[in-house]
Amino acid sequence: MSHGYNGKILHVDLTSRQLSVEEPEEAFYRKYMGGSALAMYYLLRDMPPGVDPLGPDNMLVLALSVLTGTAISGQSRMTAAAKSPLTGAIGDSQSGGFFPAELKFAGFDAIVIKGKADKPIYLWINEGEYELRDASHLWGKITGEAEAAIKGELGDDKIEVLQIGPAGENAVRFAGIFSMSNRANGRTGMGAVMGSKNLKAIAVRGKKRPSVADKARLNDLAKWGAANLEDSDIAGLAKYGTAETTGSNQTSGTLPSYNYNSGVFDGWEAIDGTTMYDTVLRGADQGKQDRLGRDTCYACTVRCKRVVEITEGPYQVDPHYGGPEYETTSTFGNYCAIDDLPAISKANEICNKYGMDSISCGATISWAYEAFNEGKLTLEDTDGLDLTWGNAESMVALTEKIARREGFGDILAEGSARAAEVIGRGTEAFLITCKGQEAPAHMPRVKRSLAIIYATNPFGADHQSHEHDPAIEEDFEFYAERLAVLGFNEEQETRSLSDEKIRFAMASQHMYSAMDSLNLCQFVFGPAWQLYGPEDMVELVRAVTGWEDVTFDELQKVGERRLNMMRAFNAREGFDRKDDVLPEKVFKPLKGGVSDGWKLDHDEIKSATDKYFELCGWDVKTGNPTRTKLDELELGWVADRLEI
Amino acid sequence: MEVHLQLYSILREKLPPEAKGRAVMQLDENASLADLLEELNITRRVVISVNGEHETDRSRQLQDGDEIKIFSSISGG
Repeated sequence: MSHGYNGKILHVDLTSRQLSVEEPEEAFYRKYMGGSALAMYYLLRDMPPGVDPLGPDNMLVLALSVLTGTAISGQSRMTAAAKSPLTGAIGDSQSGGFFPAELKFAGFDAIVIKGKADKPIYLWINEGEYELRDASHLWGKITGEAEAAIKGELGDDKIEVLQIGPAGENAVRFAGIFSMSNRANGRTGMGAVMGSKNLKAIAVRGKKRPSVADKARLNDLAKWGAANLEDSDIAGLAKYGTAETTGSNQTSGTLPSYNYNSGVFDGWEAIDGTTMYDTVLRGADQGKQDRLGRDTCYACTVRCKRVVEITEGPYQVDPHYGGPEYETTSTFGNYCAIDDLPAISKANEICNKYGMDSISCGATISWAYEAFNEGKLTLEDTDGLDLTWGNAESMVALTEKIARREGFGDILAEGSARAAEVIGRGTEAFLITCKGQEAPAHMPRVKRSLAIIYATNPFGADHQSHEHDPAIEEDFEFYAERLAVLGFNEEQETRSLSDEKIRFAMASQHMYSAMDSLNLCQFVFGPAWQLYGPEDMVELVRAVTGWEDVTFDELQKVGERRLNMMRAFNAREGFDRKDDVLPEKVFKPLKGGVSDGWKLDHDEIKSATDKYFELCGWDVKTGNPTRTKLDELELGWVADRLEI
Repeated sequence: MEVHLQLYSILREKLPPEAKGRAVMQLDENASLADLLEELNITRRVVISVNGEHETDRSRQLQDGDEIKIFSSISGG
């Protein structure tokens, strides 16, 4: 008997309005486990190369895993994958909330969507039944309004709604897919793909809990996590949010500021997690923010999500739209030298109302700020908005203009790389993109292995694709036991790119890749500081699925398989090593603070990339997977499609 | 000697709530950062600045009047 999964994949052809259910064998679930790896299977199997990312031939896969919906912290997550309209390469993004668990309860493990509806529609899945419904009346609505309208017309407030906002309808290239109006599959423009299909939303309701092979063991693991949360390294993140890292990043010179020209920002304390907790979290004025200002995902005791409420002043914020993560306080804050937390919270609210990735949105705006401050953009270009560093009012105005594709916002809605092509004037020098995706708020000039991952990651610069350097540098003693499971027993020198560091980047990338296939939260599970370690992940898979012979090595293989499928997808689209490059900016010295003068070296990065490709078993010249490697990963069928 | 302390995030709970993480600490002459961490019973991973500069050497001897900020932190995220 199968445990953990429903054994049902829903296929939706929006052009023909045909819906069907596929029932894969257990071996399929064991091989791909779910999430990103499962999505890659369908994208490689069913989609031809060279499709227009915003055309009907692109496919969008929404995938759960064999663990989704079970009663433990960190499992209610879902992958969205398609060809990315931002990068032209594979697109991939994960999100939490309650929708993933609810979809599992409704009877499905994944939804595979192709084609394009002739008018706006939404998909309604209820206890294993499914239908397409008219969404003409929802088109143009912001997320909170559309969510309320769908729940109202279906007559059940417990329905979970996954949707795009107006930004996805407007094909903003970094539009995301949202649930709860504040949880985002944010990166790589998956919301623009959904919008291009005229698919406004997916509503789900289900009550069938997944079967678990050994409930007592799952319960023990869940109880251990709840009991150890307060003493764990994520206790601060849980209570003060991800923005608690602002001060430590400032201190260690890795707080990207002034569009990545500096690793420090004088105004950091006004926008960090401790300040957020004391000032703008809902209930902070009455000391009740722990109860009212924190939110969670299904069955998760960590409760790290922020709920901001501001009722006075120029930037009033509705708590329905959540609150900013560290990435968001950074891109709208220190990237733009803005120290106004209410303004940043407002920009976050706009992103969630209109459905945009706050990383690419804020970083695209910071590109414009640098261009303006360097005299490459004028008030004529910016519709009269003054983009002087630190101008919060213009930042908030631009965020809304991007979502609506109004004026200068229409250019920025293309993402910074395309905007630099349109504007010209040397503004490409201000880009912080890899494969066209804007870099998140962790700096490769400080954490050197990030340079290799940012450059080579199949879906562009990403901070959640491997374990960052400090775990194996100055913090090694704290995490030695867990890192030994991955095969690492020696502390590495700070800011080095040693062979061991590169091996660490790859091994931890495989683990993160496995977690994105199991759809596990990377704050709750991981190789170092997270609540649960690698051996707990194995125990969880065994307890839920009953696959008692699963090992950590097998999970690593799932991660490696997913990564190779992504590289194979990109190879099929014409990508190769020439695209695995870093923005020129990171080869220039940082200014100010402890990281003053730090920069990357071209030769060192080239040599480290060679080493990384070699370790991955890929062709060092092209960076593409070889048949030998694909065969080893039981992906001969992918090699056949690549004709290698 | 006296040092001025500011604790952030979950570390603030080492002090009474009304302190909001701020305290003036009396330490023995020649006390080090490690002594301060022991005094505060901080065993988790932290990032520290002394007088605005990042300090990774826990054996650093503190001086009267030093301003010390201690951050709880994760290494990624």
